Amino acid sequence: MSTVFPLDEEQRDALQELLNISMGQAANSLAQLIETKIDISIPKISAVTPTQLYSLLFETDNAFYTRQSFLGDVHGEVMSVLSRNGLTEVASLMDYDEPLSKEDIQEIILELCNILAGACLAGLSEQLELSTNLNMPTLFQPDKDNFDELQWQHSLVMEVQFAVTVSSFSMRVVFCLDDASLKRMKNTLDELLE
Amino acid sequence: MFEQLVDKLPVGIGIVDESFNVVYLNEFFLDRFPHELRNDYKQKPITSLFDGQEKFLKRRLKSVFVLQHPSFSYWEQRPHIFPFKSSRPITGEETQMYQNMEILPIKDKASGDKFACIFLQDVTAQASYFRAQQKLSEALKKEHAAQQKLIRKLDKAQSQLIQAEKMASTGQLAAGIAHEINNPIGFVAANLDTLGQYATHLTAICNGVYDHLNNFSEEMKEQLEALFNTHHYDLLKEDIGELIDESTDGLTRVKDIVQNLKSFSLQTAEGIQTIEVCGLCDQLISLISAQYGKPQYKLDCANDKVEIMGDPGPLKQALMNVMVNAAQAIEDKGFIKLSVIDKGDTVAFKILDSGCGIASNNLKRVFEPFFTTKPEGQGQGLGLSVAYTAIEKHQGHISISSKEGKGTVVEITIPKQITATVQTEDEKTALNE
Repeated sequence: MSTVFPLDEEQRDALQELLNISMGQAANSLAQLIETKIDISIPKISAVTPTQLYSLLFETDNAFYTRQSFLGDVHGEVMSVLSRNGLTEVASLMDYDEPLSKEDIQEIILELCNILAGACLAGLSEQLELSTNLNMPTLFQPDKDNFDELQWQHSLVMEVQFAVTVSSFSMRVVFCLDDASLKRMKNTLDELLE
Repeated sequence: MFEQLVDKLPVGIGIVDESFNVVYLNEFFLDRFPHELRNDYKQKPITSLFDGQEKFLKRRLKSVFVLQHPSFSYWEQRPHIFPFKSSRPITGEETQMYQNMEILPIKDKASGDKFACIFLQDVTAQASYFRAQQKLSEALKKEHAAQQKLIRKLDKAQSQLIQAEKMASTGQLAAGIAHEINNPIGFVAANLDTLGQYATHLTAICNGVYDHLNNFSEEMKEQLEALFNTHHYDLLKEDIGELIDESTDGLTRVKDIVQNLKSFSLQTAEGIQTIEVCGLCDQLISLISAQYGKPQYKLDCANDKVEIMGDPGPLKQALMNVMVNAAQAIEDKGFIKLSVIDKGDTVAFKILDSGCGIASNNLKRVFEPFFTTKPEGQGQGLGLSVAYTAIEKHQGHISISSKEGKGTVVEITIPKQITATVQTEDEKTALNE
């Protein structure tokens, strides 16, 4: 991605470090709740166009999508991609009885992304000393044409992948910030670096 | 004052401690409580106060206490967490309240104790509105599908009309020509018959003269012999009969063709009547073989006579169209076999050809009106669709299977008796609308 990257090297390194810590905490939360081991990827930071964001997220086969917005000192959205594979095992870890109804599956998906996105955001906000509130998650069925017509040019995305060790289930969480929030976060990062 | 405000809020607010015991419930909860519990709920586990969703509530509360992060639940996935009645107990059609729930972690600033705050929203109105919308959209979808079906039917009816018109005019033309040809054929046939008799007489006279040659004087005999030789009497005598016989045969064939042409023209609106299908098939083959000479034709009827009730015009047309397709599929050599199988209540016609076959991607389109693989101007793509319609009218069905390069089998099954048709009524309404 050769486009103007919204963060300089130092800011980026600092953010990477903060993400590593907060995502680790998020994985721990989930592990604690469902009492199983969670693997986590190294968080990735990049800048994307709407079209790139679409292919980054929604061209995954066999997946569920959700979105959840957050407000407070920074505004943005968390989007999650959850694999259909292994969902039943995770459901039984979460104490759901089989067979799963359509509603059960929706509830599990929403709860999973609420837990993970919430934990990630809480960790990040805490590190950056920002206050944020997460709104309720909803299921999301994106349309590529709508994405191509979005007004923004570039967005900073922070991406991390979680996988449940004992099952084939995996989940990606992607944070996007709006422009004003990005500015505020850059300032906060600068303050931390001083 | 603050507590009063919280009590009067139109959302349910409840606070539980880490062992899920109730610390506080606002009036929203209390108003909906069984009366005997109204003064006796504090310090009891919330999960024991409300039946049904105990497991779910425990799970969510645990998650909130462990993660210190809010948890959400929606009516769409879990409509009734607390067993509350709808907000419209008298007039509403919903008997149970639809609920959205949010559980937030809170902390007592002084003691540091952790609590969970339950917010409960009554979304019965939204839910019933949403469900009504959904019902409406389903109804619309259904209606749309029904309309699509009608449109398709109309399309079909229209193409049938076009075809019927075409067939009617072609039929009229054919009938007219047949009639015109019939007249000259009549007198040619009569004349030929007389001519045959005259020829017999003439040869008899000549033979008589020839036999009595020796009775003439030498001079006369020589003259007569020369006369016979100059006119090749031997050849003449032999050929004349054959020529007349051949001509008579040819004329009979012409007559047959004209006869078939007449009976196949759709002009005769005969209506439902008894049809003898073996004879019909025989007639059909002689008609087709006159036009398409290359294939070998075989008719296979188990019985001498198989009778069904039907409308001869469309039925003949259907068989004819299928047979013509089979004949056209054979370029040089090949065979067409038409089998008539009596199956008791139904009759099956099986038309098998060893022609070029139909590509599998075209196979499911062959009954579509105007679908053709023939070069432009050579086919209207109506043959099989007309056949299909005619068979449907007879409450039968037509199926086709084919292998490219190997050949095609078309099977038509028709009940011997047509029961009162509902479909025709349907089509009538479709056309009237």
